[in-house]
Amino acid sequence: MKKSNWFIILFFMTLALIVATVFAVSIGAVKLPLFNMTTVEKNIFFNVRLPRVLLAGLVGAALVMSGALFQYVMKNPLADSFTTGTSASSAMGAVIAIMLGLEKLIPLFALAGGLTGLTAVYKISSVRNRIQPVTMLLAGIVISTFASATISFMKYLSDDAVSSIIFWLMGGFSSASISKVIILAIAIIGSYLSIRSDFLSLDIICFDDMTAEASGVNVARLRRKIFFIASLLTAFSVGYAGIIGFAGLVIPHIIRLLRMVKAAELLPMSLIGGGLFMITNDLIARTILSEGQELPVGILTSFIGGIFFLTLLIKRKKELFYFD
Amino acid sequence: MKSNIKIIVLAVMVQLTIAATAFSYDRIIILYGAVSPIIKELSLSDKVVGVSRSDTVFTQTTKLGSHLRPNVELIIALEPDIIIAGSKRTFNEEMVESVKVKVIYFDPQTLDEVLEKITELGELFRQEERAKELVISCKEKLKGVKPLSKKPEVIYEISAEPLRIAGKKSIVTSIIEAAGGENVITIEKKHVVLSPEVILKAEPDYYFYQTGPMNKNPSPVKERDQFVTLKSEIVNVDQYEFARAGLNVFDAVIKMNRIFGDNPQFRGENNE
Repeated sequence: MKKSNWFIILFFMTLALIVATVFAVSIGAVKLPLFNMTTVEKNIFFNVRLPRVLLAGLVGAALVMSGALFQYVMKNPLADSFTTGTSASSAMGAVIAIMLGLEKLIPLFALAGGLTGLTAVYKISSVRNRIQPVTMLLAGIVISTFASATISFMKYLSDDAVSSIIFWLMGGFSSASISKVIILAIAIIGSYLSIRSDFLSLDIICFDDMTAEASGVNVARLRRKIFFIASLLTAFSVGYAGIIGFAGLVIPHIIRLLRMVKAAELLPMSLIGGGLFMITNDLIARTILSEGQELPVGILTSFIGGIFFLTLLIKRKKELFYFD
Repeated sequence: MKSNIKIIVLAVMVQLTIAATAFSYDRIIILYGAVSPIIKELSLSDKVVGVSRSDTVFTQTTKLGSHLRPNVELIIALEPDIIIAGSKRTFNEEMVESVKVKVIYFDPQTLDEVLEKITELGELFRQEERAKELVISCKEKLKGVKPLSKKPEVIYEISAEPLRIAGKKSIVTSIIEAAGGENVITIEKKHVVLSPEVILKAEPDYYFYQTGPMNKNPSPVKERDQFVTLKSEIVNVDQYEFARAGLNVFDAVIKMNRIFGDNPQFRGENNE
């Protein structure tokens, strides 16, 4: 894609993100006159709505970037935090925290779970310090299945807490806070900066490993690094918002369909596209029902994302699989 | 001829009715813990042969798994005459068919429904007098409710993560109303996944949050980022005392009314 075209799309996407953010902070369960707020309304705005919108945007950005990164590492268009087992193992950690009554420590447990899953997948799929993408995908599915079984077992044991676990797993941002926003923002910015210098290498590993090695890319080192960063972003997202499906799979593909296939184009756009997607979904999730009731956002993302992706898949299946 | 048939049919129906009412349930299974104190009060303890895992009254009785997923094999093995379950969600039609005994459900949503259920159980187990006495003692307890100067507005948190609040169909709403208060949430559900914005905007006088299996170790409300500015009185209560629809609800009413009455803002004129 021409640089000028990319900038135009980036400009409009950023504009759309800003508009969505303004909409999202203006609309909610409670009507807020943004320019003439009472003390209570200011509290609602600054302690509930603003952190929530920001967290939704950041979680969306993190999930979509991690999805795009997983697709690079695995050389597989269907790879995302689910297929790599990171989502399920993070969720397993979070569910353990819920079951033990350690709700304050959910993010920490999710992170620990995610990293454990990551280590297991990494160890299983490594041969002589090199990660085998296909083995990694298979290991991810096995770890994911194992984590899901553990979650089901804990649900079985938890009696009355089962509904809390189920609702938590459906995903949502109702417990957003500025501290979570800051931590996740640091994680995303840090991750993005640390992979910026690898954009060209990421494009090169889309070819076979020998070509990449011949081009001077240390494939094994790059895969390890990207895998770790993508898993870290997923673990943070799951810890803060539960399991939110489809974002990491759908958005990178939609961006590719806009002819942005290079990492230097795809990854920045993933951040913006992910933020836009999640803020919009969360806005719908918290306003679609009456009287302040909320729908778990994970239901919406899977539903909307699924329909949208299926439509694209049917209409443009040839262009979608650019790895072929 | 026709009149003869009518007489015969009538006689058979009368016989069947007598047979049904005369049947005595000697082997009871309880799959909803809130029923156990009532069964005990009805002097039926010796007839209970199995209970759910979390039952706190019949601790020595055979456990039949969780109340959400009881073990049907164990139930059949105990050869019960009757099963008392929480709801059709936890003991569905297929399970009823497989156990082949009478199943009744205990799922009252108001204090009056709890009293009705006690009466029904009394009739079913032919303990009408005990049931009547129990209903009277529950009603007597409610006479201890002291009048308030105005109705406090209440929010009752079922779980913090995710934030779920008691809705209109929860027994908690009935407790709040009997205690002289008003549930801010009027949505026709037992539990409502609610935006914290609604709570902040409503500025309830009281924010009750329960501790129990549904809300293990919840962090203190005012330590949560969203509620640091909440001005409501915060009260932590036991889930088993407030959110279970059994005999406990009448004590919960008194407890809640006392909490309201202790606040000068709501204390009635003769409420010292």
